[in-house]
Amino acid sequence: MRIRDFFLSRRYSLPIFIVLFLLFALVLMSLRAKQRKGVDFFDALLMEICSPFQKGATLAIKTVQGTFQRYLFLINLEEENRILKQKIAQLQEENHQMKEIKLANERLRELLQFREKKPSSMVGAEVIGQDPSSWFKSLTIDKGERDGVKKGMAVISPTGVVGQILKTAPDYAVVLLLTDYNSAIDSVVQRTRAKAIVEGKGENRCQLKYLLRTDEVAVGDVVITSGLGGNFPKGLRIGEVRRVDKRGHGVFQYAELVPSVDLTQLEEVFVIMEPLLPSPPKEEKGKKEKKTKK
Amino acid sequence: MKRIVLLLLVGIFFLILQASCFPFFPIHRVRPDLLLIFTFYLAFLFPPISGGILAFIMGYLTDLFSGNAMGFYVFSRSLVFFTAYFLKGRIYLEGFYSQFLFAFLFALLEGVFILILMNTFQSVPLAKFHPLFFTSLLPQSFFTGLFTPLFFFLFGKGSLLWFSQPGKGVKEKG
Repeated sequence: MRIRDFFLSRRYSLPIFIVLFLLFALVLMSLRAKQRKGVDFFDALLMEICSPFQKGATLAIKTVQGTFQRYLFLINLEEENRILKQKIAQLQEENHQMKEIKLANERLRELLQFREKKPSSMVGAEVIGQDPSSWFKSLTIDKGERDGVKKGMAVISPTGVVGQILKTAPDYAVVLLLTDYNSAIDSVVQRTRAKAIVEGKGENRCQLKYLLRTDEVAVGDVVITSGLGGNFPKGLRIGEVRRVDKRGHGVFQYAELVPSVDLTQLEEVFVIMEPLLPSPPKEEKGKKEKKTKK
Repeated sequence: MKRIVLLLLVGIFFLILQASCFPFFPIHRVRPDLLLIFTFYLAFLFPPISGGILAFIMGYLTDLFSGNAMGFYVFSRSLVFFTAYFLKGRIYLEGFYSQFLFAFLFALLEGVFILILMNTFQSVPLAKFHPLFFTSLLPQSFFTGLFTPLFFFLFGKGSLLWFSQPGKGVKEKG
């Protein structure tokens, strides 16, 4: 009886409500931490309701921004055009050389009977929003489960790695950027093939961790995906080493990395639908076929 | 009920504004936290139960659209709401400076609280955040503080326009 009176008394009803309310928030937090499989039905529903408005707002802003950029801010256009033409010529030459290298590489791979890579399928998505909070780095895109997007899939842009899918709704998904504190990508330093993990550092910066002290890394080295994690195909550009920190002692050295993608200006991204798992080599295939015939 | 639904829509509008419009600003990292300002507004002028639920929903939506997989904002925004609710009668909050200082300190404390939660639940070492204190947390809290009096003024005007009885507007007692 006394307990009932305590709960019903006006004096204690508000503190009890607040305590229960905060406890509920804590329980919700722990439930989310346990699940970690993606958002449930309610989350997906809320996302479906709010995202079209977000898409509309982004479209309106882009239209206004586009009007200014396409019609009003054209002062240095001629100079820019000249520089771009020079760059095209340079890239065409580079492209020609690359084609030659690619052909040579294909011939050599054939000779060595290397495993072939499956062609990846990608789906293009539009960025409709960025993280509303300051501590986490994510994007909302307009492709979701209905388009085949699943949690953990790699997200890239033409210039490099963007991140991976964190949450999905039927038509929308949240991408965890590679600069987020919770992001980790298996990587390789392109020049020296030194293995490391790229971890997010928050403000458009990443860190190369577990990089052996004996490995050679220099400022300006390009870091690419190693393909070992399973989500990212091998050879995607992640970023460039900006600073190397060889601390006084220890097994590892650290390096700071600048992503090759400007994550604050992203408008379109690609989601890699399947991980690039290698198919069995031709020789093995042949052997298997023979075995089955027997 | 009408008032709650309206404020919920306003909250969603702020969320969209923060996620879609502010990233286009030239200085990306110093965008003010509109949803935090909105939570203060709810705490100062709304009853604890309906205001608390609204703050909770706003935190939930922030978590939903952010890269935060744990749901820190559901807890932190509810906590901010109730702390601000209990402090409102004890602090003078009518002028520009007091509102600025209040919002600045709360934004700073909420930032530190989120960092502690990240450190506790996601094992992100606190040492990682040291540089962010001056480059991100302080400027953002400052801008949140700076925008608070302006938004309070706009909210006040908005509620006067929307509700025919200004006194009754949002200043009902819980």
